[in-house]
Amino acid sequence: MADISRRQLVAGAAGLTIVGGLAAACGSGSTSTGIGGTNPGAPKRGGNFRLGVTGGGSKDIMDGQNIITKPDQARLVSAFETLLLFDENYQLTTNGLAESVTQDNPRQYTIRLRKGIEFQNGKTLTADDVLYSFQRIGTKANGLTGFAATATMDIAGMKKLDTYTVRLPLKSPDATVPQTLASYTFCIVPAGYQAYPHPQIGTGAYKLKSFTPGAQSVHVRNPNYWRGGGKPYFDQVTIVDFSDSTAQVNGLLGGQIDAMTDLPAAQVQVLQSRGMHALVSKTGGWLPLCMAIDIPPFNDVRVRQAMRLLVDRNHMIEQVLSGYGFVGNDLYAPFDPGYLTEPQRNQDISEAKRLLKAAGHQNLNVDLHTTNGAAGMVDVATVFANQAAAAGVKINVHNDPNYYGTQYLKLGFSIDFWGTRSYLNQVQQGSLPNSPYNETHWPPKSGTGSNFISLYNQALATTDLAKRIEIEHEMQTLEYDIGGYIIPFFNDLIDGYSDKVKGLRPSKGTLNLDYFGHGFSSIWFG
Amino acid sequence: MIPVAGADMAAAAPLETPPVRATSLLRRSLRLWRTRIGVGLVVLLVLLAIVGPFVAPYGSGTFVAAPNSPPGKGAAFGTDYLGQDVLSRLLDGGRSILLLAFIATAVGLIAGVVIGLVAAYARNAFDDVLMRGMDVIMAFPQIMLALVAVAVVGAHPWVIIVAIALTTVPRIARVARGAALPVVERDFIACSEAMGVPRWRILFGDLLPNTLGPLMVEASLRMTYSIGLIAALAYIGLTINPNDPNWGLMIRENQIALTFQPWGAVLPIIAIALLTMGTGLIGDGIARTAAGIDRSRGAE
Amino acid sequence: MRARFRWGGVSRFIVRRLVLGLVVLFLVSLVVFAATQALPGDPARAILGRSATPTALAALRRHLHLNQPVFSQYWTWLTGLLRGNLGTSLAAQEPVTTLLGPKLVNSAVLVAVSAIVSIPLSIALGSWAALKRDKIFDTVSSNLLLVLAALPEFVVGVVLVILLATIVSQVLPAISTIPPGSRPWNYPSYLVLPALTLVIAVAPYVSRIVRASMIEVLESDYIEMARLKGLPERTVMLRHALPNALGPVFQVIALNLAYLAGGVIVVEYVFNYGGIGSAVQEAVLSHDLPVVQTLAMLIATVYVVLNLLADVATITVTPKLRTQL
Repeated sequence: MADISRRQLVAGAAGLTIVGGLAAACGSGSTSTGIGGTNPGAPKRGGNFRLGVTGGGSKDIMDGQNIITKPDQARLVSAFETLLLFDENYQLTTNGLAESVTQDNPRQYTIRLRKGIEFQNGKTLTADDVLYSFQRIGTKANGLTGFAATATMDIAGMKKLDTYTVRLPLKSPDATVPQTLASYTFCIVPAGYQAYPHPQIGTGAYKLKSFTPGAQSVHVRNPNYWRGGGKPYFDQVTIVDFSDSTAQVNGLLGGQIDAMTDLPAAQVQVLQSRGMHALVSKTGGWLPLCMAIDIPPFNDVRVRQAMRLLVDRNHMIEQVLSGYGFVGNDLYAPFDPGYLTEPQRNQDISEAKRLLKAAGHQNLNVDLHTTNGAAGMVDVATVFANQAAAAGVKINVHNDPNYYGTQYLKLGFSIDFWGTRSYLNQVQQGSLPNSPYNETHWPPKSGTGSNFISLYNQALATTDLAKRIEIEHEMQTLEYDIGGYIIPFFNDLIDGYSDKVKGLRPSKGTLNLDYFGHGFSSIWFG
Repeated sequence: MIPVAGADMAAAAPLETPPVRATSLLRRSLRLWRTRIGVGLVVLLVLLAIVGPFVAPYGSGTFVAAPNSPPGKGAAFGTDYLGQDVLSRLLDGGRSILLLAFIATAVGLIAGVVIGLVAAYARNAFDDVLMRGMDVIMAFPQIMLALVAVAVVGAHPWVIIVAIALTTVPRIARVARGAALPVVERDFIACSEAMGVPRWRILFGDLLPNTLGPLMVEASLRMTYSIGLIAALAYIGLTINPNDPNWGLMIRENQIALTFQPWGAVLPIIAIALLTMGTGLIGDGIARTAAGIDRSRGAE
Repeated sequence: MRARFRWGGVSRFIVRRLVLGLVVLFLVSLVVFAATQALPGDPARAILGRSATPTALAALRRHLHLNQPVFSQYWTWLTGLLRGNLGTSLAAQEPVTTLLGPKLVNSAVLVAVSAIVSIPLSIALGSWAALKRDKIFDTVSSNLLLVLAALPEFVVGVVLVILLATIVSQVLPAISTIPPGSRPWNYPSYLVLPALTLVIAVAPYVSRIVRASMIEVLESDYIEMARLKGLPERTVMLRHALPNALGPVFQVIALNLAYLAGGVIVVEYVFNYGGIGSAVQEAVLSHDLPVVQTLAMLIATVYVVLNLLADVATITVTPKLRTQL
């Protein structure tokens, strides 16, 4: 298959430019590895790669456009791909299924597919599949994770221009469409596709052979994989569900699996002492404490500001992450060019006390809800409760097993988890009234901050990067002053792998193990 | 640990002679080394639990050093997964287990004795109904019932107490009934009935004292098991406060660091082991004394 | 005349116990259904977790037919159970039998392996200790067994992991994840630690019962007679003492098999062993009603059946109890 060269997304008449990133290793061995790795040399074929993941269970699914848990993510990327990709620095590239995605005008994009890509059943990827994929995501009743992102798209008005070209009109201007096209659940599926237990046919490197939800899935090599150059390298990939990290680590040490996701920071030295490796990726993942701005006592902005001043951010990083993270400032999307870093908020107990007193909540007593949804969620709550005690604030931590099942978006004070995203993308997912996961019930309905939505729409429509950054700064200043998030840090993603595994590199992206070794296609046994 | 109802042990060495009074049984059992060791262990750990929080060098939630640090740097046994002092958390962690186990066993004991004695005394259809009810509860492993209860309502302390008490009741009831049945047939009971002594007086004044031997054995078995069950529930992760300094929870949280910072898990394991050994020894001491008394009586 | 009466008594007893067992099971089914129906929130939310947006919820609810009234759900469930249709797992959307079948096999194998080791071991230990009563072997073994018996199973399991799999030595695997599709007997090393944990949990009790029972028998008159007759000790033990001591032991063995089914829940968790123990926990947490109900009924049935067998065995083996029928 044709070698993929660097491309730039062509700026349309509106002048939007997105810089093409480094082409993902295609046909040649990469020379950088995770911590403790050595030069892997040239890729070799063969072997059964076994990955251990936690967070799954009998509710595991396989859907090219939907996930619930991390095991679902791993299975998704093994078989399905997106039009665009993020590289390891979270920059957009055209290394996906699309040859180019151009913005013709603020309300229209044109997507050109690469020619000659085949699905795992031999059928060629064409515009019809793209249309079906968008329609499937855009159908509300399907309940897919990407639905909210289709709000600005006029999917009904999408047109097939020729076998490999699609026109995507928008209902309103939206400069974040390329990022949506690169988000990992926005994959292209064949026309007529349905989720497991229907056959899972994608364009990806491995084809699903068998699947026992809650136990494991087996994927075999796709010999027809469009990237070519010998990819993919393993004969087979097995994804195994584990109930907890202890079992995973023991499995890795015992040689029962070759790699694992979400290695507890404490185990990094254990792995290294046994000749194994930890892949530490400095991502923009965050574990916020979410205060609902419309539920007492957090509806008083002084209480929110006080709570934000209670956190000792560096201690948090030490205790919860064992140092694997960097300081946060109650704002998200740290890799976005518009990310606001000044002024850095620090712990200030006396000011916090003063604010609480002024608000009439001197001896505040609140419930904080959390769950084992991701590594560290419970620890953040615990450590924050201990830190808050210094200011006389009593926090009752509740670790709810039924957390996401019952009240989570109606809670006054809760913990959640997020991965790397760009700013506007994140706003759309969590900071708008119609966002799927708006824990803080932001923005305020009146007074300061009520112009947040109009600012957002302006930013979407702005194609000039400098102007967009200005608007983003304005939005973030509002969130910084009166928002509902406490974001103490950005956590690294730490994964573990054995010495045999080559080709893994740290990545700033959303998914573990460097997008699971790019859908298991860029890693091998050496 | 699989508990066996005292009635089964009694079946192996049946009491055919008048049961011994409780206090003398206790006193005599203390003559055995094993009972003394058992009492010693239990007293030691109860003291640890009560006094512990006051002598702990740090608060159980205080950040002392980097997570999973080995002993040193002001932490005698190192730190746990969140950088908290292992020793302090151990000293804080006995209270909840002991209190919960004690209350749950006591509640189950009282309810079970009442039911068992009433069933033995009634000796008719009511007896059958009660015992079938007990069978229904006993149709599940104790831990399964506790799991479902906690999942339905949440891991509140009262839920755990109710779940454990509920599953303790039938086992106590069986023993109480089994020990009371031979007594119920005896003449002095019939005498009391003829004299018009009120039923509850007969139950608790005449029947109860004569069943205390097997009951005490069973109660200590139940206590041992309750402690183990509460620790197991915490180990599985079913607690309300995720940072509770609870011994079972400590094992769970620190197990992952066993290879380089074992104290976080080993200390609570030792504590739980000593505690359950202690209660087990006490129960065994009482049982041996009772059997010994019967054996010597039988030889007379 | 007497013989016939005795046999009629036994069979009447068995029938009575059977009927009572069924009554208990029926009551249990009511309790199980009520308890699982009372689970808070609805299963759709619990399954979807964080992705529980209103659209996704409605889609899943529709897909799983969760809108029927309670009583009709109970009736359908009960009749289905009796016909062998155990329902469909809400989370995995597979028939419960397919889902639980392999796990049941795994647990059964583990229990069987543990029982095969623990029962002969405990009979041997108990008999020997009875024979050498109050001598060194007896004292040492009974104290050791007492101590082991008191420990919670997960403590035993974790200690074994420390001793044999991680810190002190690394001769055995620390976890026992059987890959699905394969059978536990293909991975014998995975069975060792969990089975050892279970054996340590069960054997002490059984052996102490055997010991107590054996002591009583050894002191009885007909054993004295056998000894006086000059029979070798071995014949005395095997031909006369053992069969009579085994009466209550059957009951205890059956009960302990039942307790193993409960102990399996925690032990499987410690070793990540894919049996019904881990299935129970997961099903409870994800509100997978059909699976929870099936497992609860399954375990209850096992208990009731084993109890029944134990009672019947005790009756047939212990002559004096038969006269009370």
